Amino acid sequence: MILFKDVGFEYEPGQPVLQNINLELEPGQVVGLMGENGAGKTTLVKHINGLLKPTTGAVYVNNIDTRDTSTAQLAKTVGFVFQNADHQLFADTLQTEVAFGLRNLGFSKEEVDNRVAQYLELFELTRYGGQSPFLLSGGERKRLALASVFCVEPKVLILDEPTQAQDALQKDKLLNFIDSFRDPEHILLLVTHDVEFAIRAVDRLIILSNGQLIADGSPHQILSTPLLLDRARLLPPQLTQFAHLMAKQFPQFPTNVTTLDETVEAVNQLLRGRR
Amino acid sequence: MAAIFEAFRFKQKATFMHSLDPRTTFFMAVSFSIIGMLFLQIIPLLLVFISMAPFILLARSTRQWFKSLQGLAILAGFILIINSFFISFSFAISTVLRLVVLMTAFSLFFLTVHPDDFALALIKMHIPYEFAFAFSMAVRYVPTIATETETIRDAQMSRGLELERGNILQKVRNYIPILIPIIVSSIRRALQVAESLESRAFGSTAKRTSLYDLSLRKRDYAMLLVTTFALIFALYVAFVVRIQFPFLLPDWFFWGLPF
Amino acid sequence: MSIEISRLSFTYSGSDTKVLDDISLFIPQGAFVGLVGPSGCGKTTLARCLNGLIPHFHPGNLEGSVIVQGLNSQEHQAHELAQKVGLVFQNPENQLVAPTVERELAFGPENLGVPRDEIRQRVETLLYQNNLLELRDKAPYELSGGEQQRVAIAAILALEPDILVLDEPTANLDPLSAYEILKLIAKLNQEMKITVLLIEHRLELVLPLIQELIVLDNGKILMRGPPAEVFNNPLVSKVGVAIPRIIQLMKQLDNPRIRATTPLSVDEAIGMILKEVRR
Repeated sequence: MILFKDVGFEYEPGQPVLQNINLELEPGQVVGLMGENGAGKTTLVKHINGLLKPTTGAVYVNNIDTRDTSTAQLAKTVGFVFQNADHQLFADTLQTEVAFGLRNLGFSKEEVDNRVAQYLELFELTRYGGQSPFLLSGGERKRLALASVFCVEPKVLILDEPTQAQDALQKDKLLNFIDSFRDPEHILLLVTHDVEFAIRAVDRLIILSNGQLIADGSPHQILSTPLLLDRARLLPPQLTQFAHLMAKQFPQFPTNVTTLDETVEAVNQLLRGRR
Repeated sequence: MAAIFEAFRFKQKATFMHSLDPRTTFFMAVSFSIIGMLFLQIIPLLLVFISMAPFILLARSTRQWFKSLQGLAILAGFILIINSFFISFSFAISTVLRLVVLMTAFSLFFLTVHPDDFALALIKMHIPYEFAFAFSMAVRYVPTIATETETIRDAQMSRGLELERGNILQKVRNYIPILIPIIVSSIRRALQVAESLESRAFGSTAKRTSLYDLSLRKRDYAMLLVTTFALIFALYVAFVVRIQFPFLLPDWFFWGLPF
Repeated sequence: MSIEISRLSFTYSGSDTKVLDDISLFIPQGAFVGLVGPSGCGKTTLARCLNGLIPHFHPGNLEGSVIVQGLNSQEHQAHELAQKVGLVFQNPENQLVAPTVERELAFGPENLGVPRDEIRQRVETLLYQNNLLELRDKAPYELSGGEQQRVAIAAILALEPDILVLDEPTANLDPLSAYEILKLIAKLNQEMKITVLLIEHRLELVLPLIQELIVLDNGKILMRGPPAEVFNNPLVSKVGVAIPRIIQLMKQLDNPRIRATTPLSVDEAIGMILKEVRR
């Protein structure tokens, strides 16, 4: 559904920000995009909804070349929630804020009203009804930003640093939400630094470093490879670290455990075996 | 149109012009502006402009200055048309030339003087610290706000906002979803910066000292002298000679296009 | 000496709700204390009370008292308190106000009227101690997030405070940069004996160094104590405090002896398992 073919991008001639990007994202995937600051993650992701057009190569969304269409057109298919919710909020009431995207994309008044109510409910914001978005707390504003992009029901959803400034409960809610979005028709792309979150949320991990793709595959495998972690300025998730250190002490300890439950079971087995 | 700001964006370079005390550069900018305002004839204005060119070259900032010129083109074209229509083409050209001279004079200042050095200069000239600081703060955050504006614009366009759609009234309204987040964000930022300043004893009652100091050097005195002479000479020609002894001025001084 | 908070309550002016509710706390000189809690619990407000931003910059109704290094925050101006308590914020960019790193470090002392020679000395020392020598002439926008935060911290240290309060200093940084900043903070605490109060979501990296962990919820202190003790308390997960995965792991194992332990790092956990295996 999303195809990057030999994509290169530079803001100014001679200074490439993206090079040789070849990438295919299929529906049904929850993909993580990681990399050091300045690697080009945001630049890459902006190509998906046409905010940026490639200098070389081409980007296709549902077989349409992004150069043949506009960001507004692509907004029907691609939803983009930016890192800072305050960069989006402008309306006088929550309803108007959520309705903004829907109205821009030409939904009927009835449909707009329906979806506004539905999504305010989904994100637990209904009780703030006709209030100003600016009176909400930081976490609530983030939920409002999410609601106003989700209500369009795009097939592709891009979230830029969704866990920033979120506490543990909020992150759990986000994980639940991501799970509910996971289905054969949707693509979910998470740009993040948060390794603990990534390893729980994504099925596929892509690492961008210095404008080039250096890894694309299993999150667990990639987050245990020191060289990649180093390039992307990441630290391995605690459980991944644990599994590898355990394997050093106990060669039979499985290093391919991916979830908390699997790790618990592996340790239990090890201890039982020692009796 | 945003290209017009290129000639006013400071870039750290090691040139003669950059090494001058900001007060010197400021004096030069003001003097050149005054000289530019003294004349309305094409040839003198061209001469003034040509005399400023070496300074732009010395500051190694020709590319930036030229970009600004391009940005100025629309405004210049507008002035050209209006003045040609109402007065004469010759007059229009001289007005445009004046505009270029003024722009160049001040870009010379902004290109080579860092806002904080300017703030230091203001303080040396006994302007209260708070004003000088407010000014340098504003300049320091301009690039930050500019970047944020682009992000906000991207975010709203990603929600289907089309800036170019609709009649002129609609087009103005299209900018509201961009303007409001900029304002709100800037207010938030101002509060954060203020908190940070307070936390570093800004506004403390003690008399403020500074790590660096400005002092005028030989080159500054030289430039000040040269500029003063140029200014006096220009004033002399513009007032004394032109009014009392116009016959002393060569014919080409008054040359203008016949239309 | 250090920080004495006595029955502190605070309500921002224009609001009815108490953001801080009857908080009492003593933090001794040289301590390294962590402060956690869900969004909106009052952490940032508490931080602001420590250097005088509350009540001098943010007006409101303050009850009780906050005494830092013997100075009552209500009776002394923010600039006096700034020499005792340094406050580092989340967003590095909004803390850097000068054109170059060098001038940034000088900014604080300049405000205090410190003589030029001494400023020069402080700046050179800080550049050296904080690995900033190569960045001396760089402008804020030329620095990475991690570098910016390092400069922000050094700029606060230029005022020579005895106490450092950091409000989510690594929130905007990538993991490796976050780790480097936290290491720097630990170094400041251990080598220079600076008292540290660290507000962080991502505690795993500093857990072994923290002597006391305070959990704030709805303006009140919910629990406090050595980190191991706090994470043993089942209330913690209900409040929205992130429990390090390694602790979650250990708490779910079959072996009751291991379940009773609370490792503060992966290495500690491995150590505990090894000990159990060798029995």
